[in-house]
Amino acid sequence: MAEGFNTEDMLDMYLFENTQLLEQLQETVLEQKDADYFDEDSINEIFRTMHTIKGSSGIMMFDNITKISHKLEDVFYYLRESQPHNVPHLELVDHVLEVESFISEELEKIQNGDSADGDPSEIIERLDEFLNRIKNGVPGGAKEPEVENKHEEPKHFYIAPVATSASRFFRIYITFYPETEMANVHAYKTVYALKEVAEDLLYSPEDLISDESSSETILHDGFKMLLQAQCSEDELREIIGVGYDIKKVDIYECRAEEFLQGFDFGEHNATNIDLESSVEDIESRIKDAESLEPNTKEEKKKPEKPKIAPGDFVIQSREPGKQKKLAKDKPKGEKASFISVNVSKMDQLMELIGELVISESVVLQNPDLKVPGLNLNSFNKAAAQLSKISTDLQNVIMSMRMVPLTNTFQKMNRIVFDVSRKLGKDIEFEMVGEHTEVDKNIIEHISDPLMHLVRNAVDHGIETNAERIDSGKPDKGKVTLSAKTEAGKVWISVEDNGAGLDREKILAKAKNQGLLDGSKPDAAYTDKEVYQFITLPGFSTNEKVTEYSGRGVGMDVVVQNLQAIGGTLDIESSPGMGSVMSLKIPLTLAIIDGIVMETGGSAFVMETGVIKEFIRVKEEMMIHEPSGEEYIMIRGECYPVLRLGKWYGLEEYKDSVEDGVMLILEVEDKKICLFVDKLIGEQEIVVKPIPSYIKKVRGLSGCTQLGDGSIALILDAGGLLE
Amino acid sequence: MDGTNDLMRQTEESPAGGQDAQKGKYMTFKSGNEYFGLEIQYVNEIIQFQAITAIPETEDYIKGLINLRGKVIPVVDVRLRFKQEAFEYNDRTCIIVINVKSMIVGLIVEKIAEVVEIKDENILPPPTIGRVDKAHHNKYVYGIGKVGNSVKLLLDPDKLLNDDDLSAVEQAGELGMDEEDE
Repeated sequence: MAEGFNTEDMLDMYLFENTQLLEQLQETVLEQKDADYFDEDSINEIFRTMHTIKGSSGIMMFDNITKISHKLEDVFYYLRESQPHNVPHLELVDHVLEVESFISEELEKIQNGDSADGDPSEIIERLDEFLNRIKNGVPGGAKEPEVENKHEEPKHFYIAPVATSASRFFRIYITFYPETEMANVHAYKTVYALKEVAEDLLYSPEDLISDESSSETILHDGFKMLLQAQCSEDELREIIGVGYDIKKVDIYECRAEEFLQGFDFGEHNATNIDLESSVEDIESRIKDAESLEPNTKEEKKKPEKPKIAPGDFVIQSREPGKQKKLAKDKPKGEKASFISVNVSKMDQLMELIGELVISESVVLQNPDLKVPGLNLNSFNKAAAQLSKISTDLQNVIMSMRMVPLTNTFQKMNRIVFDVSRKLGKDIEFEMVGEHTEVDKNIIEHISDPLMHLVRNAVDHGIETNAERIDSGKPDKGKVTLSAKTEAGKVWISVEDNGAGLDREKILAKAKNQGLLDGSKPDAAYTDKEVYQFITLPGFSTNEKVTEYSGRGVGMDVVVQNLQAIGGTLDIESSPGMGSVMSLKIPLTLAIIDGIVMETGGSAFVMETGVIKEFIRVKEEMMIHEPSGEEYIMIRGECYPVLRLGKWYGLEEYKDSVEDGVMLILEVEDKKICLFVDKLIGEQEIVVKPIPSYIKKVRGLSGCTQLGDGSIALILDAGGLLE
Repeated sequence: MDGTNDLMRQTEESPAGGQDAQKGKYMTFKSGNEYFGLEIQYVNEIIQFQAITAIPETEDYIKGLINLRGKVIPVVDVRLRFKQEAFEYNDRTCIIVINVKSMIVGLIVEKIAEVVEIKDENILPPPTIGRVDKAHHNKYVYGIGKVGNSVKLLLDPDKLLNDDDLSAVEQAGELGMDEEDE
């Protein structure tokens, strides 16, 4: 690499772009995995992707990535040019995914600062073998052989990175003074100068360096160039510069079509045909423009170019106009409307807005305003406007942090595909609601749990093909991954139509591990209780440990990860019909709606979502157990009662239920009545963690600042229920 | 060239110079009958007493949380920490905000005394009278600084916050007579 480049930035950009390309690639491949063959667009896309990765990896000198992407590019080059009909599609999909995985792993190594030392040779061998096999199977192979070996001579054009719609096309004729010696070198100098601005450049005669007779041709016929660039005629003149050698420069601007026709030479010879194909190449470059071809390494690219050119030609002649349309389908400006922002900056903004929300409530609820007799009409109007803006601001920042689950789901698609192929199970994968948006921080936390659940569904859930036939089920298993938002929570469920959980087996295993309470008969455990056993560490009912699951780690990790973000796992299953694992996770972690209340002089906040009802109760509704536990009958339903003041051992809380307020809380179908002294109001609260110096207190999930600047503790309903 | 180097050294040194200026200086405060000292580099600021939100189910010396300009920090009552008698907070009560290993904690102290300079040669290790295995009890007082005629007990803030159980009474006792085991 040349010095002076900021390699750090380049590396970042390289990783970022290629990771995105690979994601895109994977999506394309998986979309078509069930088809019989890749359609033309996908073949082109995969080809382009590999080509781009190869180019950029070459520049960054990651040789193994370059090699492997080159090989896959070869395969797709062959596919797109020869259109063989006998390609084993699934095998091809495997190969592509294999390469994708390899490159992803290497990129990850690079990202972690390790060296990309993976060995692609095995995969390359397999690809070679695959390529040979499909090549030999092609009947006739009409175009294929001549393509391979044609055009070995160096070409006469340079290709620069981007062609955009702002490009202009020029014909340039340069006449040298007849006495100029080595006119070919002078011409080359001009070409070299123009290369800086050129998006595309053809010139004639083509061979300036090794063919000495070109010098005479130039002197005799002049030096002709076709140039595509974004500069004006004057700028070109400046670049070429009339000096002691150049007698005259004629520059004519022309239209793209004329440009594509090439030179209108008098003599039609072999060169001309060559030009023709390279013109196709220009087209292919235009089409390829968005893939940001690196400019350097001409030497490297030259030998490949001819290969591509006829391929394009073949496709284009079959469907004229198609390539150009492709280029137009993806307008250049499209990407400009997105920028990528460092997540830490987003977090910072989020934090600042949190501060703003707090200071807003400090201002609006300022005790100074409570002085009687103040005329606050216009203050209140202004305050209302301020509140509106800050709410909008919050919504915007929240929406900025919201990311669709699409990518996460896509990864699961890949897992289903990989695992089911390896296990020899025929499994269909369906995604529902993958566009559901979730806070970025949360997505990071659910990716692993989801992966475990999906693997489990494929491995444990769905039976083998033979078992399915035996039990008279449709032979294709199905895994459905769905997402929806409801009541401020995201529900993600992994559903399979497999055998379902085996209650007896789980119970037996639980007994073995001494998890059962001996005094309780087996039948007394509800299905839900039984299923909860599988979320315990070290619990797996799968006798065989497979590559993917059965080690008994997994479900407990799932539950732990979920709990870390305040989510829960719900398991439903019916024997023979399959099981459903539902994750319920909060939409966001940062700002929530809460009810502020007071008990024993301390302020507490409870998330609005879990509160079903506030109710004032009478003493006669209470039921006291001798053990000290209390229940309450409300409209014929009996709820356990938890007195917050007593629970935390606070001082001076209200003792009589008639003086305070009952809150009916509902978490995961469990209901409880919470008794507090009084309600203060509703407020948007910014969740802050309790400083780590203070050890975890049951039932508290964080703290927040109230309007008067004091601190309130946030109650965690789930924790209170335990 | 040399001139610029000097200049650079100076500007570079100015923060470090601050550190140097802090060296040997101790923030002293009174708790019970003793005066304690904290190396000033740990002290962020001193704030007036403000309303504390109590946290249930924590040790009694952790009084709760305060809001320090939008930051939530825990506060510890030093007297309770030393198992001394509780005292009533008044408007002279102060909170010393310290930063130990990037953990920010407020210390409620009876009375802030002054910032004193104690030279290293005036700091004595705490005497260990009695059995040697008792020495671990006074870990949080790592030295005794002499200032004129008075004596300051120098505190190790990390131990002050994190050691499980300590009692100034017990320690003071150890300094004088041999008390019973804990």
